[in-house]
Amino acid sequence: MDATFLRNFAIIAHIDHGKSTLADRLLELTGSLTAREMQAQVLDSMDLERERGITIKAHAVRMMCTAHDGQTYQLNLIDTPGHVDFSYEVSRSLASCEGALLVVDASQGVEAQTLANSYLAINHGLEIIPVINKIDLPSADIPRTKEMIEGAVGLDASDAVLISAKTGQGVPDVLEAIVKRIPPPKGDPEKRLQALIFDSWFDPYRGVIVLTRVFQGTLRKGQKIRLMWNGKVLDVETLGVQSPKPIEVDELKAGEVGFLIANIKNVADTKIGDTITEDANPAIEPLPGFEEIKPMVFAGLYTVDAHEHTQLREALEKLRLNDSSFFFEPESSVALGFGFRCGFLGLLHMEIIQERLEREFGLELITTAPGVRYKIYKTNGEMVEVDNPSRWLPQSEIARIEEPVILATILTHEEYVGGILALVEEKRGRQKTFEYVSSSRVMLHYELPLNEIVLDFYDRLKSVSRGYASLDYHLADYWESPMVKLDILVAGEPVDALSIIVHRDFAYERGKALVSKMRQLIPRQMFEVAIQASIGAKIIARETVHAIRKNVLAKCYGGDITRKVDIPQEAFLAVLKVGEDSS
Amino acid sequence: MPLGLYLSVPFCRTKCTYCNFASDVFSKAVFQRYIDRVCQDIECCVATAEQMGGRLERAADSIYLGGGTPTVLEIEQLERLFVTISQNFEVSSTAEITVECAPGTLTDAVIETLRRCGVNRVSLGVQSFVDQEAASVGRLHNRTAVLNDITRLRAAGVTNINVDLIAGLPHQTAESWGSSLQQTIASGAPHVSVYMLEVDEDSRLGRELIAGGTRYHAHFVPDEDLTADMYLMACEQLEAAGVRQYEISNFARDGYESRHNLKYWTRQPYLGFGVDAHSMLVNAVGAVRFSTPDALEEYMAGKGLNQAAVDRQDALEETFFLGLRLSRGVDLDQVATDFGSGEVSSLAPVVDDLVKTGLLERRQEIIRLTSRGRLLSNEVFQRFLAVDRVGTGVLARPNRTPSV
Repeated sequence: MDATFLRNFAIIAHIDHGKSTLADRLLELTGSLTAREMQAQVLDSMDLERERGITIKAHAVRMMCTAHDGQTYQLNLIDTPGHVDFSYEVSRSLASCEGALLVVDASQGVEAQTLANSYLAINHGLEIIPVINKIDLPSADIPRTKEMIEGAVGLDASDAVLISAKTGQGVPDVLEAIVKRIPPPKGDPEKRLQALIFDSWFDPYRGVIVLTRVFQGTLRKGQKIRLMWNGKVLDVETLGVQSPKPIEVDELKAGEVGFLIANIKNVADTKIGDTITEDANPAIEPLPGFEEIKPMVFAGLYTVDAHEHTQLREALEKLRLNDSSFFFEPESSVALGFGFRCGFLGLLHMEIIQERLEREFGLELITTAPGVRYKIYKTNGEMVEVDNPSRWLPQSEIARIEEPVILATILTHEEYVGGILALVEEKRGRQKTFEYVSSSRVMLHYELPLNEIVLDFYDRLKSVSRGYASLDYHLADYWESPMVKLDILVAGEPVDALSIIVHRDFAYERGKALVSKMRQLIPRQMFEVAIQASIGAKIIARETVHAIRKNVLAKCYGGDITRKVDIPQEAFLAVLKVGEDSS
Repeated sequence: MPLGLYLSVPFCRTKCTYCNFASDVFSKAVFQRYIDRVCQDIECCVATAEQMGGRLERAADSIYLGGGTPTVLEIEQLERLFVTISQNFEVSSTAEITVECAPGTLTDAVIETLRRCGVNRVSLGVQSFVDQEAASVGRLHNRTAVLNDITRLRAAGVTNINVDLIAGLPHQTAESWGSSLQQTIASGAPHVSVYMLEVDEDSRLGRELIAGGTRYHAHFVPDEDLTADMYLMACEQLEAAGVRQYEISNFARDGYESRHNLKYWTRQPYLGFGVDAHSMLVNAVGAVRFSTPDALEEYMAGKGLNQAAVDRQDALEETFFLGLRLSRGVDLDQVATDFGSGEVSSLAPVVDDLVKTGLLERRQEIIRLTSRGRLLSNEVFQRFLAVDRVGTGVLARPNRTPSV
C-alpha cells in the first residue's frame, strides 16, 4: 500500500482511563474483529495484565478503515506498556509511530504517567490527538479536563475528540482524526533497509517473534538480515501482521509495521531498539535511540522450601525466555540458603516477576529487601558497581559512592501537597519545579534517590495523598552520597540476608527500628540473645531478647507422660518480613 | 510390683477457663453410660492387658480418682466404681486412695461415701485463696468454703489432703500469691501441688492469650517471668514451712508424698480407666504404654487404644526425663547398672554441659535439676532424647538462637 495511506499510532493513557476499551472499539468498528470474535479487551492477553488493568507486553495491530474521503487507510495501532518501569520500551514503541492518541478520563484528569509518556511522544515529534473518554459518566468534567491537558501537557485541547469508549459514542471521530491529523510515515522502500525492533517475545512453537517498524527499505520473506547492535545474521522465515489474528505477508515496506520470525532461539538476541538491516546491503548506521536496558532494582529471591531451589531456577529461566530485561544470578545466604540475586527494571517489574513465579510456577518465595546499584569509587582509583550488600566494600577501600537518582513527576490535588512535600523532603528529595497545572492540580518535579523510592515510597505517597497522587519517574542522575552498609547481628553473628545499604544519616534510625522489631519476633531462648545493628565494627543499636525463664510441663494428667516438646519456631520468615516492612 | 489404678471422670459443673483436659459439662444421662463403660473396661482388664502385651498384676496399692470432678457423680455411681475395682483387683489394706474434689461440692453424704469406699486422701482444686482470682477462671468456690472443707474432711478422718495451686492466674500478683501460699501453709495440708498456668490451644484462656485478646481476663494474666518468680516463691516458702519439694510441681511433709504419682515418675506399672487414661505395664522385653481416646465421644464409641512399646532407648530416655522431675534426681550408677556404662558415658558431655550452664547439679553420681533447671526442665529433658526421635534437628542444638 502507498505510504500516503498508512497511519501508525499509539495510545497513551493512564491505567483505567480506557485504553484497552478504546482499542477494542477501534477493532470492532474497522471490522478487524466481529463482536463475536471479541474477547473483551483483546490486547491485554496475559492474565496478569487483565487483572492489573495494565499492558505488560506491547502489540501491534493492523486495521483497515475507509475514511470520509472514500479512501481506505491502513492503521497500525502500536500498543505500549503502561508503566513507568517500561519507559524505554515505551520510547521505542513511540518511535515507531507518527502520532498518538492521548486518552484522558473526563472524571479523573491527567495523571503523572500519562504526562511522562506524552512528553516522550512530544519529544519524538509525534502528532498528539487529545481524546477525552468516559464523557457518559455523571462525574465527567470536560472543561476541566481540557484545562488540564493544556496546563500540564501543553497541548491545544480545543479540538479534543470527546468519546465514550464504553458506549461507542464518538469513536468514529477518533478514526477520522487519526486519518486527518496524523501524518503518513516517511521513508523510501527502495533505500537500504532500516527496521526498528520495538518488541519481541518467545513463542514455544515459533521461537522468538519480533515486532518491527520498517523505516527505510523493504523487509522481505527469505531475506538475509543483520541485527546491527547484536551483529547476528539471520534468514527471514516468516513475515506477517496482526489483524489481530496473524496474517502472513511477503514483505513489509518502509512505513509498515509487522512481525518477523527468523529461527531465533533467545529473546536476548533481539534487543529492543536494535536496527534490522539487509546483510548484503547494510544501512550505513543504525536507527538512533538504542539503549542497553539495565536493571535498576535488585533483590534476592529464595524459596521458602529449600527443596524448591531447582524449580525456582527453571522458572526463572523460563521467564527470562520472554523477558530479557530481567536478570538473575545464583546467590547464597547463610540465613536463607541458595537463591538468586535478581535485577528488575523497577518495582512493578519485580512484583510481576514475583507474582508470576508464585502463581504460574506455584513457588513460595522469600524476597530480601530491594536495593539499587551503586557506583563505588575505590581509593585505588577503580570504580565498581555494587547492588548486593554482601559485596559491599570495606569502608577503608571506598573513596566515594554515587547512588542513582530519579526525576520524579508527581501530580496531585493541592490539598495533599503539604503531606507530599514533607514525604519527598524526608526521602532526600530536591525540588526541581512546582507548578499549578489547573486551578487545583499541582505538578511537582523532584529529584529523589532511587534507593528511597524502592523503600516504602509508593505506599507512603498513596497514604499521604489518599490515593490522589500519581507518580512517574526515570533515571536522571547520580549523586555522591555517604552510603553505608547496615548489618543486623543476632547473638553476634551477622544475618546476611538482612543487611541493607542506607544513607549514613538514616542508619541509626533504621537500625534502631529493625532491631526493635526483631526483638519482638525472635522467640526467647535459653540464654540472653543480643540483637544489634552495626556499621562495620561499630554497633549503633542494640536490643536484648531476655533468656527464657520457664519451659516446664507441670502436670502429668492421669499418668500421661507424653513428651511435649516445644520446637523453637522458625523466626526467620517473620524476621525477613520485618526487613520488608520497614524497607 | 503392685499396680496403681487411675480412674478418669471427665465431668464438671462448669469448665474452668484454664482447663486443657478432656473434662466438660455433661448431662447426668451421660454419667450413667460412662460409668457402665468404665466398669466394663475394668472387668475386661485381663483381656486388654493381654491384647496390649503387658503383664497384669492383680495387686494394687494406689487408686486415684481424677478428673474432671469425680464428686459430681451420684453416690451410687461412685460406689459402683470402687466396688468394681475391688472385685477385679486385690487392693491392699494400706493402699493410698485419692479422690480429686472441687471445694464447695463436698456434702456430708459425699464425704461419708468416700470414707465408706476407703478413700484416705483428697486432693482439693483450690488454685487460689484469693476469691477474685478463683472466680475469674470459673471456680465456683471461695476461700471460706476451702477452709470449711478441710475442717470437715479432717473431722471425718481424712487428714491426707492435697491443695492444688496455680501460679499465673488472672489478677494474680506477687503479693496475692504470697497470701495464697501462706494460707495454704496455715491450713496444715500436708501435700501441695503448684502448677504454672499452661498457655496452649487446648484451653479457652490459653487460646485467648495466644490471640492477644481480653476475654477470660486474659489481659490480667501475669507475664511469664512473674509466673516463674511466683513458682520460685512457692518453692522457698513451702520448703521453709517443712513442705518439701519432691517433684517439679509437688511438695509434701515427710511421709506424705503421693504414692500414686510417684509411680509415674519411677516407672512403676499403672493402669488407667476411662477417657484419656494412660497405662504402663511391664513385660518380658521391657514395657508397654497405652492410652484410651482423649475425646469422650470417641471413647464411648469404642475407639481403640493407642499403644506404644517402650524399647530400651525409650526406657533410657524415660529414666532421665521422668526421674529428673524428682528432687532425689537420677543415679547414674543405677543407670549404668540398668542400661550399661556405655550409655552413661555417651551422655557425659550432655550432663557436663547442663551442669556448666547451671541447669543440673551433680553430687558424685547423682544428677538433679537446679532450681533454674526445674523451670527449664523441658529444655533439659530434650537433651536426653535421641535426636532422630524428635523428628527435627532443631533439638540437636537447643541452646542456640533460631536458625538465623
